[in-house]
Parts: sequence; structure tokens; C-alpha cells
Amino acid sequence: MTNTNEFISLLASKLGRPTPTQAPEPVAINVPQYRSSTRKDRASLFLDNWHALGGKGMIVKSPEETMQCLKEWFGDQQATWPNKQQAIVAWDMLPTVAEFAFAALEWPLVRYSQEAQSSPDRYSLAAQAELGVTGADWGIALSGTLVVNSSPQRGRAVSLLPPLHLAFIEASKLRDNLFDVLEELTSLGMPPSAIEMISGPSRTSDIEMDLSIGVHGPIEVYVIVIDD
Amino acid sequence: MKVSLFATCLANALYPDIDLTMARILTYLGHTVDVPEGQACCGQIAFNSGYFDDAREVARTLIDSFEHSEIVVGPSGSCIAMIHHYYPTLFENEPAYLKKANDLIHKSYEFTQFVVDVLKTPDLGASYSAKATYHPSCHATRLLSIGDAPLTLMKHIKGLELVPLTEAQLCCGFGGTFSVKMPKLSTAMVAEKAQHVLDSGADLLVGVDMGCLMNISGYLEKINKPVKTMHIIQLLGEGMKS
Amino acid sequence: MTMYDPTVDQRVDKALANDFLRLATRRATDRLRNNRVKAAEELGDWQKWREAGETIRTHVVANLDFYLKQLITQIEKQGGHVHLAKTPAEAVTFVKNIVREHKAKNVIKSKSMISEEIHLNHALEDEGSTVIETDLGEYIIQIAGEPPSHIIVPAMHKTRQQVADLFEPIAGHPLTSDTPTLTRFVRNKMRESFLQGEIGITGCNFAVADTGSIVMVTNEGNGRMVSTLPRVQITLMGMERLVPSFRELDVMLNLLARSATGQKFSSYTTILTPPKQASDPDGPEEFHLVILDHNRSEILGDKTFRPALNCIRCGACFNVCPVYRQIGGHAYGSVYAGPIGAVITPLLENDWYKWGHLPFFSSLCGACSEACPVRLPLHDLLVKLRARKVVGGHTPKIEHQIFKTYRFFFTHEKTLRKALRLGSKLQWPLVRNGRISVGIPPLSNWTNSRTLPKVSPKSFMQMWSELNRN
Repeated sequence: MTNTNEFISLLASKLGRPTPTQAPEPVAINVPQYRSSTRKDRASLFLDNWHALGGKGMIVKSPEETMQCLKEWFGDQQATWPNKQQAIVAWDMLPTVAEFAFAALEWPLVRYSQEAQSSPDRYSLAAQAELGVTGADWGIALSGTLVVNSSPQRGRAVSLLPPLHLAFIEASKLRDNLFDVLEELTSLGMPPSAIEMISGPSRTSDIEMDLSIGVHGPIEVYVIVIDD
Repeated sequence: MKVSLFATCLANALYPDIDLTMARILTYLGHTVDVPEGQACCGQIAFNSGYFDDAREVARTLIDSFEHSEIVVGPSGSCIAMIHHYYPTLFENEPAYLKKANDLIHKSYEFTQFVVDVLKTPDLGASYSAKATYHPSCHATRLLSIGDAPLTLMKHIKGLELVPLTEAQLCCGFGGTFSVKMPKLSTAMVAEKAQHVLDSGADLLVGVDMGCLMNISGYLEKINKPVKTMHIIQLLGEGMKS
Repeated sequence: MTMYDPTVDQRVDKALANDFLRLATRRATDRLRNNRVKAAEELGDWQKWREAGETIRTHVVANLDFYLKQLITQIEKQGGHVHLAKTPAEAVTFVKNIVREHKAKNVIKSKSMISEEIHLNHALEDEGSTVIETDLGEYIIQIAGEPPSHIIVPAMHKTRQQVADLFEPIAGHPLTSDTPTLTRFVRNKMRESFLQGEIGITGCNFAVADTGSIVMVTNEGNGRMVSTLPRVQITLMGMERLVPSFRELDVMLNLLARSATGQKFSSYTTILTPPKQASDPDGPEEFHLVILDHNRSEILGDKTFRPALNCIRCGACFNVCPVYRQIGGHAYGSVYAGPIGAVITPLLENDWYKWGHLPFFSSLCGACSEACPVRLPLHDLLVKLRARKVVGGHTPKIEHQIFKTYRFFFTHEKTLRKALRLGSKLQWPLVRNGRISVGIPPLSNWTNSRTLPKVSPKSFMQMWSELNRN
């Protein structure tokens, strides 16, 4: 087994110097960044890009609109899901508007991290669910991307294993570009164990360059932007 | 201006009319033309094959022959690109010649670049009836960045219709010694290029590098589908006769 | 005249005779190239982004000792294990030991070029473990027993019918060859594997030195599965694949996604800082990072080729290369094909006999350098490799002789004039209809597929001096 110091000093010698102990000066980065003029523009660009990726998305202003939206998107399917009690798996805590809407619709939510004791049990729970519901920490307007941090209350598999994924995001969490998100992430200090940046459904072009949606991850993705 | 011609090895041996026409056009534009003796080749053949020492020796000869020239103009984007793009590498450990090489870089131009960008005389009063397509040679375009200079000259030729060439940016497969060292790859590449030329419907293929044109036209002739091929200098020369 | 492995020519012949391969290669590369150009234009000021990419990568490589140390320290502090492998064999041993220690039977993998570089799968299978490639393209070539033919779309040389034929024995029933059917089959089949996976092996697009994070870019979601579900995660990483901090990721991820597939970002860009925190409901409990040198430190010490370490493996150079376009990846014979493969393989493998042909798989047209998002001068590096081969004595004597002769004539212009005149007189046996159409080797390499104009009776230099004399 190669010793770390030995390995590093070899590199230093290849670079023709002793191993540095101080961090090098960071390089100046000078790229033009996209900036939207208003919050409204940002939200509509986010949704345009999300739609272009094949996702469905809507801006809602009230719990009523949220219910309307959920019924429109999932109402018919929900009626036919075989095991309704276990069909929707969600984070422990969703934005208030979301909690209210699901409660009012009387669509039961399975709480991912509370329902089962062991990881494998949780995975099968999520794998058997029809819809995974999460919040999001940021959205990136320029690319139509959701940025989702993991935490003890926020299972990573919820946005991964069910065939449908629905995310709620407050409009105030939308950012113009990835740069801004990374700045905020950095200021949080130690990152969570997973930051998932999701841009549309799972896809592949591996067979004859033919685009195919829904290989391993969600087949359909939905986002509700809460106008806060 | 006093302009020294860089004949380039290929034109010198196989297409001397190109060099003669280049001299005629520059004289017509009111410049004094000379051809310094001793010049032979930019060295690219050896350089591209990895024989840097041999290339350096040939390059030194070229540099020396143009030492007292004010302006150097050549009929090949590739040879001028060799000087501009690779001489600094070739002479990186030889300060005396590096300086001389830089002098040459600063005073040397590919023909169309010189006429359009330096002399700013895109209209040479030429006329020529043909449906032409243009192959933008790789080194002229990518290493020398001659841009649209050849097209600008062609657009000023009366009677010349320009038609687009599909995937024009693709290499024709010449690549100097590549064409002989990797003949099968080179042939596959030129076959595709030739097909695009045929598909363009042009009856004339024009370019700024005889190496590429020799490759494409040689292939078209071998498959019995010859397309008239001209270096842009030949085209201008013909067009200015009338 | 060749001083390289004769199987090279056989591979080239085979590729050139494969019409589907050539069609598929053009189709894939044209699509990816056009997507890249569009995505680059959309972002605006692409050249500025490329410059930033080059600056960041050059800085990282120039300070690799510091950033690697920082990464290792950070990962160990977080409870991860780091394994430093000097050679592919050492890297394989590290992985084998981990698998053995956990007595793991089911190993699932997401895309990793390092795993291809160290030929990991067979080694694990010999241990009695089932190893499943979960990226669709990698899965196809794993079943077919072939190396990837493209760094981004590894199975693009397969027809959908060939894919269906490969899947059928596994499905145990007939499959139609439409893409949705094939994709659905893989989705269902792979679900079981994901849920049963005991160890997940991933690649690494970038590691973040100051946070000890691993960044992974995928489209299918398999990378997320492999790094979320199994209890143990092993990540394989090339020694140079670092960024200093999150700050630089914006540039690198924009360049990578846009250059690789023309997406703004891939469907999933995942920043992992494993192992999971104790109260997290999912994620790996145990994390191993295997860092591979495999002569990268030699490249680092070689100023001429050090920039080759800047590569971010986006594949943009494949998609504009006129040579790759004609023959696809397998003819190269190496794990990494395309222009970047032609540059790094001889350096990584250090075997001129086996890999000396690669720097010549290029017409030096420069399209690769123009496409590279971190502005690698790929075609310049290829020429310099050729020079390295010559200086190292790995080219035939006759070739040295030819260039000595060339050097003599092209430094003696007056003698050259005479030689050309002589040549114009002696060329008649090769002339048909006014053109040189037949030749003996090596001239026949040209004349077999092309004619050549005759040598002019008088060279231009001759004509000019005669004109001036009169």
C-alpha cells in the first residue's frame, strides 16, 4: 500500500518543488453569467427550461390552486393505483402548501424515513410507490434544474425510485444560474451527504442515439412552483 | 510594396503556374515581386512526421532565405500556418532562430489573407463563369484563421456562382505524409469529401491549398468522376485574363 | 515500413468494411457535435468559458500535490477510506479486497472509464462476484464482451436488433427491437440488481478537494442508484480529476455537459460527500475512494505533455475527428479512443510497439483542438508524440533515411532544381493520360486511390530565374 505522503511528495517532485503546505491562490474566474431582470422572468425561464426537458410544471398562488394542479396531473391515475395507502412516498416534511393540499385531497402520504426501520425496507417502500414527493432547496432558471439536499428527514431515494417524481419549490428559491447556487452551498459550510441536481426525467440515447425516457430514474417529473 | 514570394515546395514542383500567376497578380496590383533563392520548403513534411531535427534544418534555410524580405506571401495556408503556428515550438530552445522565426511570422501571409486583409483589394476585376464550391482547408482555417478571405475574393468574381459544400469543415484526408502513411484512413476520408463535392452540384472546386485539392481531385479522377479543380490563384488568374 | 503491431491494420480494415459501424459513428458524432455547438452558442461567450476551463484545469494540475492531499485529508476526516494505486493492478487489488472483505456477491457499477482502464470487471468475476454494469450502453457492451467504442455513448456501434439479440437470452423470451421495449426490459431487470446490490462502484467526473466531495454526471439515474442504495460505495478516480472547491464547478459542469451531449446539464448531476451521516435514511455507510496514478505522475513531470491531464473526458474531440468518424473507437485498440485517446494511451501505457500507431490516427486537421472545452492543443500534442517516438528510436531506419534525404534536397535548392528536372524525365513509366496513376510503394499508397499530377518539366524556381535572366 502506497503511503499518502510518499504519493504526494512524488507529485511534488514531478512538479519540481517541495510539497506546498499553503493553499494556492484561487484562480480568477471571469465568465459572463446569465442574470434575469425580475423574479417573474426567472420563474418563467425555469419553467420553460423544465418543460423543454420533458417535465411538467406550474406556478401556484394558493393551496386551492395546488389541489387543482394535483388533481389535474394525478387525479385519474390516483383512482387506479392498486395500493393507495402506499402509493405516495414523501419526505417527512413538505412545504405547507403541499401538506395542506394532500391532506385536503385525502391522498395518504407515506413518510419515507419514518415508515420503515431499515434501509432495505425503505428502498422497497420507495420502489413500490407510484409517486415520490419532495421539496427542493434551489432551482436553476438557466437550465431548469432542481437542487435537492439530503438530510435525515429527506430521503434520497424518494426522488429516484418511484416512476413519478413531484417536487415543490418556493419561487424565492429560484436562482439564475448554478454559480449562485454554489455560492450559497459554500456558505452553508459542510455539504450534506448528497446534493442531487435534477434536470428533467431519466433519459438515455445509448441505443442508436434514439432518445428514450425513463431508464432507471423517474419516467415523469413534475414541479410545482409556489409563488411566495 | 516589395513582396517576396514563398513558392512552396508543392507548387514549385507540380504547379509552377500558381506561383507565376501569384507573381502576375501582385505585379498587377502595383507591387514589386521577388523570389529569394535558396527557399525550398517550410519543413512541415518532416515536422508532421515527428522528425523535428530535419524539419528545423529545412526551416532554418527558409528563414534565412527571407531574412531581408519586407513582406512574404505564399499560395498555401498550410505552409504559412506551419511558420506561424509551429516555428515557435520548433525553435523554442534556439533563441537566435526563434527571433528570426518571429520576424518571419510577422511579415508572412497566405495569399488571400494578404490581398483581402492587408491590401484590402478584394475586387481584382476578374470574371469567370462557373458554379463553384469552396473547400476551407484545415490549417488555413483553424491554425491561420484566414476566415472568409477566399470567399470574399470569390464573391467579387463576376459570373461565378458559389454553392455550399456539405460538412465543409471536414478534413479531406490529405494531412501531408498522413495520406501515404495511413492510406486507407486517408482514402476513406477523401471519399467522403469527394462525395460532398459531387453532391454540391458544383462544376468547379476551389481551395487555397494545393495539397488538399490534389488529394480531392486525384480521388475524383481515379473514380472517373473528375471535377474541375482550381487553386484560387489559378481561378483569379484565369478570370483576370478576360 | 511499419514498426507497430500488425493487428492495427487488421482493425482498421475491419472497421472500414463495417458499413453499419461507419453509419452509426457518423450519426452519433454529428448529432453530438451539433448539440454541442448549439449548447455552446446558447450559453454565450463560449470562448470565455473555455478559457476559464483551461485556467482552472491548468491550475489544478499545477497544484495537484496540494489538492490531492487536501482531498485525501478531507475524505479521511469524514470517515472515508482512500486507496492510492500506482498501477492498474494495485487498483484492482484494492477493489477486490473490499469486495472480499464484505463477501459481496452482487456488485453494481455505474459508468467509470477508470474501471475500463484497469480492466476491473473480469478480475471481480474471477473472484466469484456478479458485476453488473448499469449504464445502458455499458451493460450492452458488457454482455457483448466488447470495450466501449465511444467515451460517452459506448455502445453506439450496435444496432437495436443486435441489442435485442443480446438481451433475449437474459430475458428468456423474445424481445422486439424497438427502443422503448429494450429500455423497459433493462429498467425492470436492473431494478432487482439495484435493490440487491451490496457494493456500488462509481466513476468520478470531479472530486472537490476542500469538501472531499465526488461529483458524478449521469443521465439515466443509474449513478444515483449505485451511490444511494448499496451499503458500500467504491469510487474510482483518475488522479487528476479535481477541482479546488464548489466555486469552480460552475464552469466545469457547464463545459462538461454542453460539450459531451449538448445538454445544459445532464439529467443528474450529483455531488456526494460520503459516507452518509448517521441519521440519514439512505446512502452508503462505508465509502472507499480509489485514486489511480498509472503513469499520470510521469505525465505530470513531463512539461510537454502535462496539459494532457487537463482533459475532462467529455468526448467533444471524438465528435469532430475525421479519423474517428470513419472507423469508430475499436480500431484504435485502446480503452480511450479518439484524439484524446491517441494522446494519452501511449503516455499511460508506455508501450510504443503496441500504441505507437495512435499518434498517427490523425491528419492533424486541428478540429479536436478547436472543439476541446478546456482548449487542449490535441493535434499539437499528437505531433509532439510523433517526435517522441522518433527520438526514442521507435521508427524504422528507412524512415530516418527518407527524411535525411528530404533534408538534404530542401536545404540545397539549386540541387533540388536539378533533381526535379531529372524526376520529370524519369517519371514516364508511371504516367497514364498525363497523370501519375501507378506507383511503387510508398507512392502506391497514394496512387492506389488517387492520381497525381506530373512533376513539372521546369520548377517554378527554375522558370523564375530564367525569366529574370532574360
